[in-house]
Amino acid sequence: MSENKYSATSGIQQEEPLLFEHAHEAPESINLPGVKGEVSSDLAAFKRKTPANIPGLSEPETVRHFVRLSQWNHGIETGFYPLGSCTMKYNPRVNEQIARLPGLAHVHPDQPEDSVQGMLGLLSELQGWLAEIAGFSDVTLQPAAGAHGELAGLMMIRKCLDARGEQNRKKVLVPDSAHGTNPASAALCGMYTVELKSGADGRIDLEELKKHLDGDVAALMMTNPNTAGTFETDIKEICQLVHDAGGLVYGDGANLNALVGVARPGDMGLDCLHINVHKTFSTPHGGGGPGAGPVAVNDTLKPFMPVPRIVENDGVFSIETEDEQSIGTILSTLGQSGVYMRANAYISAFGNNHIHQIAQDAVLNANYVLSKLKSVYHVPFEGLCKHECLLTDEWQNKHGVKTLDIAKRLIDLGFHPMTVYFPLIVHGAMLIEPTETESRETLDSFCDAMLEIAAQCEAGDTQALHDAPLKPIRRRLDETQAARKPVLVWEG
Amino acid sequence: MRYLPHTEADRQAMLQDIGMSKMSDLFADIPSEFHTELGSLKLPDGLSEAGIVKKFTKAAEKNRHAGNTRCFLGGGTYYHFVPAVVDYIISRGEFLTAYTPYQPEIAQGTLQALFEYQTMIARLTGMEVSNASMYEAATATAEAALMARRVTRKTRTVIAGSVNPRYRAVTENYLSRLEGDFVEVGMGKFGTDLSKVIAEIDDKTACVIVQYPDFYGSVYDLKPLREACNAHKCLMVVAFSDVSAFGLIESPGAYGADIVVGSGQALGIPMAYGGPHLGVFACKKKYLRQMPGRVCGLTTDADGKRGFVLTLSTREQHIRREKATSNICTNQGLMCTAAATYMTLMGDAGLATIAQHSAAALDLLVSKLPSHVVAASGAHYNETVLTFESADKRDAFIAEARKQDIFAGIPLEKFEKDIEAKHLLVATTEMIEEDDVNALIAAMEVAS
Repeated sequence: MSENKYSATSGIQQEEPLLFEHAHEAPESINLPGVKGEVSSDLAAFKRKTPANIPGLSEPETVRHFVRLSQWNHGIETGFYPLGSCTMKYNPRVNEQIARLPGLAHVHPDQPEDSVQGMLGLLSELQGWLAEIAGFSDVTLQPAAGAHGELAGLMMIRKCLDARGEQNRKKVLVPDSAHGTNPASAALCGMYTVELKSGADGRIDLEELKKHLDGDVAALMMTNPNTAGTFETDIKEICQLVHDAGGLVYGDGANLNALVGVARPGDMGLDCLHINVHKTFSTPHGGGGPGAGPVAVNDTLKPFMPVPRIVENDGVFSIETEDEQSIGTILSTLGQSGVYMRANAYISAFGNNHIHQIAQDAVLNANYVLSKLKSVYHVPFEGLCKHECLLTDEWQNKHGVKTLDIAKRLIDLGFHPMTVYFPLIVHGAMLIEPTETESRETLDSFCDAMLEIAAQCEAGDTQALHDAPLKPIRRRLDETQAARKPVLVWEG
Repeated sequence: MRYLPHTEADRQAMLQDIGMSKMSDLFADIPSEFHTELGSLKLPDGLSEAGIVKKFTKAAEKNRHAGNTRCFLGGGTYYHFVPAVVDYIISRGEFLTAYTPYQPEIAQGTLQALFEYQTMIARLTGMEVSNASMYEAATATAEAALMARRVTRKTRTVIAGSVNPRYRAVTENYLSRLEGDFVEVGMGKFGTDLSKVIAEIDDKTACVIVQYPDFYGSVYDLKPLREACNAHKCLMVVAFSDVSAFGLIESPGAYGADIVVGSGQALGIPMAYGGPHLGVFACKKKYLRQMPGRVCGLTTDADGKRGFVLTLSTREQHIRREKATSNICTNQGLMCTAAATYMTLMGDAGLATIAQHSAAALDLLVSKLPSHVVAASGAHYNETVLTFESADKRDAFIAEARKQDIFAGIPLEKFEKDIEAKHLLVATTEMIEEDDVNALIAAMEVAS
């Protein structure tokens, strides 16, 4: 089986010690034009008795150290990254460039409003665009990530119910396919969750939902398309049922990429929706953030949005910091403005004439992959998928091969694996999200790799799968050891 | 559309491969009443790359910024220098465009950088362990309060009035839907009176939160607080808003803090109108399993070579769901890489230099104040409160300074709404030169 048709090679990767293990310290520290002189005697009394023991390397050594580390990473710019529910699309370089303009990067959050009209204009414009794309009446930019958006949304729901005199409503319904952040956010909001068992098709089961709709229900948290990659076709009835029972519907927008420009969650009856701009709107994920989780709300929840908020009056922007009905503030600043510059630039590039192509190509690519793989991998829920497709390892299990082996083998062939073992509603899940920025050539190459792996299983030629990965700088890592005796800092 | 690789022919061929004839077939599962007419959204048409650069350049030019003014603004965000190397490293696609390191074999770069970050943050704050970041300082403070409730199984939170009012507001908001008292201790001055804080601690107290240097820049001895916390078995939480302080002054860990939280924005991260910044979270090792957020740990691979993984995930939402220690998922990973790069470039000596310059600039400013402007007394790091004779006089000064392109400080009532409008919070960093201080003082004299 030839491997050179795939991009991965066993090219040179440099080992690099921890910076604490480098032999020497930099000969001189930074030179600055600032104010020189000893600190006041008042402050001198509080001087550190021992230095922090941060070694410091010269500039060339620092660059080499971190460049070597970078080369051990797989990023979107390195290769295909079909991580389901994470929307790893191309992050346009011009977005990085504009976010670094001094007039945007070096603005202090407490500058007078008249000195930041350009920044406020861009943020306000984005707010309006997100509301329009998602189909809601307004957007708060304060949440710093998706889970923070969930918290903000649930706080608004709590406040809305309280305003209706329904403090008793504390039950949050969460499908068993939901992201783990959903129940965690509900708990943080002083509410409790009840898990809804998905139907045989992986979707919300209306009868199951009805069973739980009583006077205690505060909200249903749902992801649509759900984490099995399929659209909740009963969305209208679902929202109606929850509303009739006196609850509100929270939308987890992690999967908004499937709908951008094609359909709007707000039109379907949801009361709010958080948007992961680091997924749908291309802001780079940075190896674990920063993200941003703005929340779009309908008229029911709008009065309760967090402060501060940007307000426009005759083309002049100001910041409103107080509002009696608001849930208050959940971050020290207005939001992750630097991230929003990039999201604004992304939407600017598509505009009204192209924005629907995001969802179209994303859904096309996922269905294309699904159609190529469904004959050799078990598909738990038949039919159209949206922006991602769900497979399982059921057919490979009989050859002793698990999802994890398939994932690690993909690494050796030059691909980042798909999301594995999520959603939890199927055994051995493999959730593949190609995104709209991948070419047919890349998809074909990935599908070939997946087909080859399946063929190796059928042929009983599975050793390479169990041994994988062999090509990265490290092989499978012992996670049990890491958790049993945690070493989180270098003590050498 | 330049970000989309498919030609129309590709699309048609692919549709045909999956047995469809048109794009709308892909959305047949969405009820037709919810189909948006394509091209009907209220958005402008798409811009070329040149158009995007022009648009943002124009907007950026409408802003004044720290680079073309003299900036004395602080209050949680500071204009420190960002070396070119830091921005270069975090611009590398391998760091920039990676996800959370779920597949450690191909994320060792991010993971080792996180491990180095955790180590250096622990050393700088004087703590035993650090996590791999929170969003920013206010949410980190709130998470510390929540963690203390889990550790102590008590529900009362005491917070000093000299903690940044925004950290207090967010923490109170996070706790407001849970059982238990939230007690804010008024200070009655621009500084921290620990005796007032200590008087509020009782046996039901889960934690006491102070800021050091406090919101007003004041530095004080934390030792009595440690003793009081011991007496009532509550956790000592120390917040900070400019981590650069610990290049110079004693670390919170040296005073025995249990949890240390604050802003790491000073470590090579631009102000960017409020974010993305870096929430630092460090604690004692014995509380590790109650810590919120992601954490990177050392291990070995199948060949016995040293490597790194995200660990202790049984605390986290994707495993523990509603019983997780926090709901946080995406955090500020790239900002950790920035901070690690920055600290590596600086080392102890560089960090000390930055802190000395920052503090010396404030000393110089205070030493030159005209007699009608009074600075808060006591030891201060790089921030203090100036008090003017009246609101009018202060505002006249702020206006005069603006004319000279100086952001003179933040009117304190912006943070503390009930306070008389004659106070100004001013901050300095290594970016402030003697000439900047002179210009500020000159504006003060003109306006007096």
